[in-house]
Amino acid sequence: MFRFFSNIWDNYKEYFILVFLLIVGLILLSFNQKPGVKTARAVAFGTFASLSSMVTDVISVAQIKSDNTRLREKNAELMLQMNKLREFGIINEELKGLLKLKDTIKYPLIPAKIVSKSFSTSQNTITLLGGNSIGIKPGMPVINDQGLLGLIYSTSDDFSIARTLRNRDLKLTVKDERSRIDGIMKWNGEDLVMVDVPKTFDIKPGDRIITSELSSLISIPVPIGIVMELRKVDIGIFNEVRIKPFVNFSGADNAFVIGIVESKQKNQLELNFFNRK
Amino acid sequence: MRPYILPIIYFFIILLLQNTVINLISINYIVPDLILILLVFYTIKNNQIYGMVLGFIFGFLFDIITGSLLGSSVISKTIAGFTAGYFSNENKRETYLNSYAFPLIVLLCGIIDSFVHAFFSSSNLNSDYMLNMLQQGIFPGMYTAAISVIVLLFRPKRSIR
Repeated sequence: MFRFFSNIWDNYKEYFILVFLLIVGLILLSFNQKPGVKTARAVAFGTFASLSSMVTDVISVAQIKSDNTRLREKNAELMLQMNKLREFGIINEELKGLLKLKDTIKYPLIPAKIVSKSFSTSQNTITLLGGNSIGIKPGMPVINDQGLLGLIYSTSDDFSIARTLRNRDLKLTVKDERSRIDGIMKWNGEDLVMVDVPKTFDIKPGDRIITSELSSLISIPVPIGIVMELRKVDIGIFNEVRIKPFVNFSGADNAFVIGIVESKQKNQLELNFFNRK
Repeated sequence: MRPYILPIIYFFIILLLQNTVINLISINYIVPDLILILLVFYTIKNNQIYGMVLGFIFGFLFDIITGSLLGSSVISKTIAGFTAGYFSNENKRETYLNSYAFPLIVLLCGIIDSFVHAFFSSSNLNSDYMLNMLQQGIFPGMYTAAISVIVLLFRPKRSIR
């Protein structure tokens, strides 16, 4: 009997070990949301991110020259834009005064340097220099000068990981800035898409897409991208809207975390999985 | 445990490069997987069981450190190690490691690794999605294989232990 099992083991041990390791892997998949795993992850990426930030600093020096040219151009553009906005601001204040409106909304921005990026086809993440110690919490939106980069997913004392828009696990409620139509946006592995948009809805290529106030994650308007095309127009009752993001994820080096804390009532909603305190 | 220490040290160095320098050569967000090249190299050098266990360790560390779905890389890298293990024949080991068979093995393992990773980190399945996954398997696999040619060219004559 022993010899029989011994023979089986000798002939098929690779397969037994493969099955065993795959079962362990599948069990690990179910452990993702356990607090212990989250803690271990925070410690691991925190430690590793310290090393990454040193390497990134060295690379940054080499990139400064090209960044400078780009920033000078951007500065000139912004100067012109600021002039325009100043004019608009004066008119706006005047009109608001007339309507007796008071603008009380201020968004605190926490600057954070991107120290590493993990590009995979489905699980795109970035690591930011800055964590709990400067007030970054899971669920806070990450932006740069171009638009929304992603959402903070996990934090340690000095570092945080954000899921970018190119991550399948990040789904956001967005809206068409022109027609005010809301929809769910996600990364399908190839493109950013708004899914299940009824064919009767008024969305056209060229429309700007921003985050929707209906979102329990990001309820302030942050630019996301521009509508490129409508898909599945010939079949079914829903269209799929392809969106080109404003943000260039591979070129992003610096970011801002919007330090917004939603109202407690909103946090307690069942659908808001980032239950902030 | 001892034979695994050196590859794990290399793993950390390569992961550091993967998350910082390699992003600079991304093509449409597709990056070569240096960790896979390391895994294939050590699997061919040793044996299939070693490759699977090493793939499991690499995948686990990768998932924990980069914040991706825990388990997805564990499974994909274990299967990649298993596949690479078929080329760890004692008689042909040196041929595989020193010839252009190596990038082809990396290509095969890369496609399988990317395909399995995309499958386990997905949430929905439809026909387009299957097509996407095939594309996501082939392009990263090809890029990784292309980079492994460079590794082959610069590989020291005295083999790494």
